[in-house]
Amino acid sequence: MGLTAAVAVAVGLPAVLSDYWVYVLTIAFFYAAMAASWNLLAGYTGQFSLGHHTFAMISAYVSTLLMAKAGAGFGIGIAVAIFTAVVLSYALGVVCLKVHGLYLALITWAFAEVVRNYLRMHFSFTGGDRGLDSALLFGTLKPLPYYYLFLGITIFTLGVIAFIMYSRIGYYLRAIRDDAIAARSMGINIVRYKVLAFIIASALGGMAGAFYGHTIGLISPVMGDFNEMAMIIIFVVIGGMRTQIGPVVGAILIRIALELLREQSEIRIIILSALVIVVMRFFNGGLMEVFRRLPRWLHLKSAESVSAYEK
Amino acid sequence: MPNQNAQHTAGPPFLEVRDVVKKFGGLAANNGISMSLLSGEIRGLIGPNGSGKTTLINLITGMYEVTSGSIHFSGRRIDGLQPDMIASLGIMRTFQVARVFREMTVMENMLIPAFSQGQARREAKARAEELLEFALLTRLKDKPAKSLSGGQNMLLQIVRGFMHKDLQLYVMDEPFAGVHPSIKGIILEAIRRMNAQKGVTFLVVSHEMPTISNLCRKVTVLSRGERIAEGTLDEVASDPQVIDAYLGG
Repeated sequence: MGLTAAVAVAVGLPAVLSDYWVYVLTIAFFYAAMAASWNLLAGYTGQFSLGHHTFAMISAYVSTLLMAKAGAGFGIGIAVAIFTAVVLSYALGVVCLKVHGLYLALITWAFAEVVRNYLRMHFSFTGGDRGLDSALLFGTLKPLPYYYLFLGITIFTLGVIAFIMYSRIGYYLRAIRDDAIAARSMGINIVRYKVLAFIIASALGGMAGAFYGHTIGLISPVMGDFNEMAMIIIFVVIGGMRTQIGPVVGAILIRIALELLREQSEIRIIILSALVIVVMRFFNGGLMEVFRRLPRWLHLKSAESVSAYEK
Repeated sequence: MPNQNAQHTAGPPFLEVRDVVKKFGGLAANNGISMSLLSGEIRGLIGPNGSGKTTLINLITGMYEVTSGSIHFSGRRIDGLQPDMIASLGIMRTFQVARVFREMTVMENMLIPAFSQGQARREAKARAEELLEFALLTRLKDKPAKSLSGGQNMLLQIVRGFMHKDLQLYVMDEPFAGVHPSIKGIILEAIRRMNAQKGVTFLVVSHEMPTISNLCRKVTVLSRGERIAEGTLDEVASDPQVIDAYLGG
């Protein structure tokens, strides 16, 4: 119900916003989709990848290069880009099978740096740091069609994740996150499902990235900066890890806040960092936890005990 | 204490452990253990701390690879199989410290083994409701497992294993350790019922001799990684090697 209302508001919003804010929200939706798909990996399955943004960058480059160098159309470019994300994430997932926690984070971070530096160094092919012009999907810089495109991508991403989490695969992923040894002894092939989660998350990130390139019109290795990954993590943490809507709420609200604080320049990063500390210290369930606790604070609902012993 | 169980003990060897060795570096945690279980049996596995009971369980359930020897289940060699493959053959296990999926609800915990064995959601839920009611956990079914007490977690871990639709062998590592007597009673009743009604075979590690005596017709005794005795608890209790192992003489 709330979700339908939110979508209805999002659909109607461009009517009352300037092009500038429609563009801001378009980019916010891109990050919302990225945050939601990373949450599938880190929040629901406990695989803390630091290379999620890299799959978006790879897909953006694959699609752009296919169109620029091989004359492919948007359809082929984007489809091959997503397929590339699937293949690479499968390979990386297999490499990462036996590792978790810090080691998984380090391997995925190393992968991200290798790819980013490769794109920087192969100037003649990738344009290096200067980047590449990417064909605009709707042939215009007017943000409205891209706004709806990324609204759709965000909804699609959330739909895929909701479907997975409701299915038995979602049960397996959460079981693996909670206790991989117990999950194996219950008959779950943890390797298969961990790799599957990695592929699905990367394909969703790759899809968002491919469309993103054709939205902003210029792609560069900046897409692969660690800062990008850090922002995705911040969106998820502030919004609410392990919740379906939290990452989206986090991404949209913080992108808007960053935009409002644009004139404060670097201070906004300090404010954002302070916010992360406050959220982690007092509400480690993020904004979604704040929303959940709100009725109790406002005395609208009596405190509910989670004790196993109380009736 | 009288032996109240009416376990089935007919049939060919169901689980056969043949001369199994498991070495960790220079230490042989299991050093040439052989034992066999008949279908429908409830077997106790006892021995002092460090005698290799948990290692043997980990070998049977595929958590560890054997250094040498072999393990056969229903005529099929199972050593070398991954734990999930072994589970799919109908072998479930519990852990000494209950391993539940902490962030998942009690009901979701119950559904995991049923789902992994391809059971339909509705059927699995109905079965879970039944088992939770038996275990007096119905009231907690929508609570996360992390909110349960240690004893309730052990109980949940045990009844969760019964969700396997084709459970044949249930290997339990210290199911009675540190649990309230009322919970112990439920666990005992669950074992007896599943054995009598579904013919499930049990291998139960426990230090609680009265409970083992009450539950198991036959026990296997390990000491220092070797099988030193096998028979009824009364028989093994008078075995000098067993007395020696327990008293550390």
